[in-house]
Amino acid sequence: MTDSAVTERPGDPPTLERAAFGSMTTGRWALAAAAVLVAALIPLVLSSQYYLSVMVTTLILLVLNISWNFVLGVAGVWNFGQLAIYALGGYGAGIIMLHSSVSPWLALLAGGVVGTIAAVLLAFPTLRLYGIYTSLLTFAFAEVIQYVILNDGSGLTGGSFGLPAVSGLFGSLSPGAQNKAYYWTALAIVVAATLALAAVGQSGLGIALRGIRDAPGYAAARGVNPLRYRVIAFAISGFLAGIAGGLYVSAEGSIAPTVMGLTPMSVYVTMLVIGGLGTSTGPILGTILVQIVATVLITHPGAEFTILGLFLLVVVIFVPDGLTGLISRYARRLGAWVAEDEDDDADESTDDRAQDQPEGSPDPHVA
Amino acid sequence: MLTDLVSVVVNTIILGSIYGLVAIGMTLIYGTLRILDMSQGSMVMVGSFIGWGVLVVAGWNPILAILAAFIATFGLGALTQLVSVQPLMKRRNAIDFEMVTFITTFAVAMVLTNLALELLGPFQRNVTPVIAGGLSIHTVDLPYQSVAMAVVSIALMIGLGLFLARSRWGMAIRAVAQDLDAARLMGVPVGKLYPLTMGLASALAGVAGVFLGGLYFASPTAGDLPLLEALIVVIFGGLGSLPGTVYAAYAIGLIQAVAEAIVSVTWSLPILYGVILLVLIFRPYGLLGKPSEARL
Repeated sequence: MTDSAVTERPGDPPTLERAAFGSMTTGRWALAAAAVLVAALIPLVLSSQYYLSVMVTTLILLVLNISWNFVLGVAGVWNFGQLAIYALGGYGAGIIMLHSSVSPWLALLAGGVVGTIAAVLLAFPTLRLYGIYTSLLTFAFAEVIQYVILNDGSGLTGGSFGLPAVSGLFGSLSPGAQNKAYYWTALAIVVAATLALAAVGQSGLGIALRGIRDAPGYAAARGVNPLRYRVIAFAISGFLAGIAGGLYVSAEGSIAPTVMGLTPMSVYVTMLVIGGLGTSTGPILGTILVQIVATVLITHPGAEFTILGLFLLVVVIFVPDGLTGLISRYARRLGAWVAEDEDDDADESTDDRAQDQPEGSPDPHVA
Repeated sequence: MLTDLVSVVVNTIILGSIYGLVAIGMTLIYGTLRILDMSQGSMVMVGSFIGWGVLVVAGWNPILAILAAFIATFGLGALTQLVSVQPLMKRRNAIDFEMVTFITTFAVAMVLTNLALELLGPFQRNVTPVIAGGLSIHTVDLPYQSVAMAVVSIALMIGLGLFLARSRWGMAIRAVAQDLDAARLMGVPVGKLYPLTMGLASALAGVAGVFLGGLYFASPTAGDLPLLEALIVVIFGGLGSLPGTVYAAYAIGLIQAVAEAIVSVTWSLPILYGVILLVLIFRPYGLLGKPSEARL
């Protein structure tokens, strides 16, 4: 990435743009592909419908968290209105699925469009503010949306009962087959969203966003318009959140105002922060870990949230870059240690496979 | 019409005083430490449970309940500072301090609320009013509990004002709020001051909790609504401005009382949020807030 720095002229896009997935080595690609393959095979092996539906929920949450991570972590805007965007997307898709005969896939896409519009409308007043005021204004927005839906007497949203009996994407299949179909659909969207946002994160747009986040004055002085790039970030994230909402309403068959509010939000924020904000793998790790804790302690909500709260506190104070940061630090240390032993070996053989080596092993030659 | 007017005036004073007590603590903390303390709602909750424990379970004197709540939440607030904020102080310039402490104090709130849920159960518990009975003005019922609460709130707010203006520690808090480095160079013991500030603010919330418990219930989620309302007041008034917070508390009390009298109780909170959205769009730093100048 440093080699082409000399040829860069002022008008050129940033050089980093050429390394679409900068940190991905061949080994890491293989690991990611293997993880996706294993995940895709789970429904064929798993017989419990309950755990399969928990996994579908987890995957839908992943789509939401990936979208949120983009605004929160990459763009660094403390937007706490994401759940309202998610819910609006869900209601939009659900209402179309209930009241019209168009393909449910189009309705899902419409959910994404509703999410985009809501996010852009939220972005303009919000981005005038800074820091803590942003988070409070966006949170107030989410509360207003929730109250409006709760007190809606027109019958369009169903008020506090929510939208009933949405037949969803796979209405014609048996319940068991539906679960599998939603699992694979959600998994495909998670993979596509992760790849797309990772690519965007490495592109000129991502660099601009991180520049505005880390050094607003400098970025603005270099001609990066903060409002423009952040509105684009809101639009991208809003589209994905709307898709997540559409998936939710169609997989659950209903949506109610309880998808918003302080309690779900605190869980999702915990997922993002524990995993590592602003990274590609962070939301995935965090979401899966917290969902496991939540599923194990489902009968003890008090204990569940106490543990999550303690987790959150410890991670924020002691591991500010989350689990992803922790893992990559240890991987790097191990990698450096392995490389010392065999400095003439190829780079690819270090990081990931080196983790399997016992730490005390004197000569961990990787085949 | 007269009934409406009386109820609006009475509700404005009472609601405003309640909001003021919790919100002024948050302002004190924000002005001094640049932290939006999300654990203040849990302090209200803890206060309401202490009120329940002292008044209902033990059957003791209301004054003892207020004192116990004050001391317990003072300790809890100071502890919260030591656990969730102090470890971050060294890195405060390297991180987004406001946001990170927002999350850590939120985590403390999560732990406290859910410990209460796990230990005491999700039940709503009635707390004996500190003072029973009430009076009636033009068919508007006015429990003595509400009157006592307004009186205590106003007294505590004045007391806090005097403490900040006159006492040695109060002046130290203001000095730190104005210029941390200068205060440190003048020998202000910042390390002791921060837990003191957070303890003091939490104690105000705890006392508010004893009264709110008598007005509503003691329950693990009893602090959620006061927290949201205090947040609204604090933003409306401008973060870190004590006079702004007091004006905002009564302004919000007025808006809510009018909304309840004219529209309905269910719409009073959304209407409040709508007003806040408008205020922030036109005055991004609230009524009396300043971007980064001297506060308090």
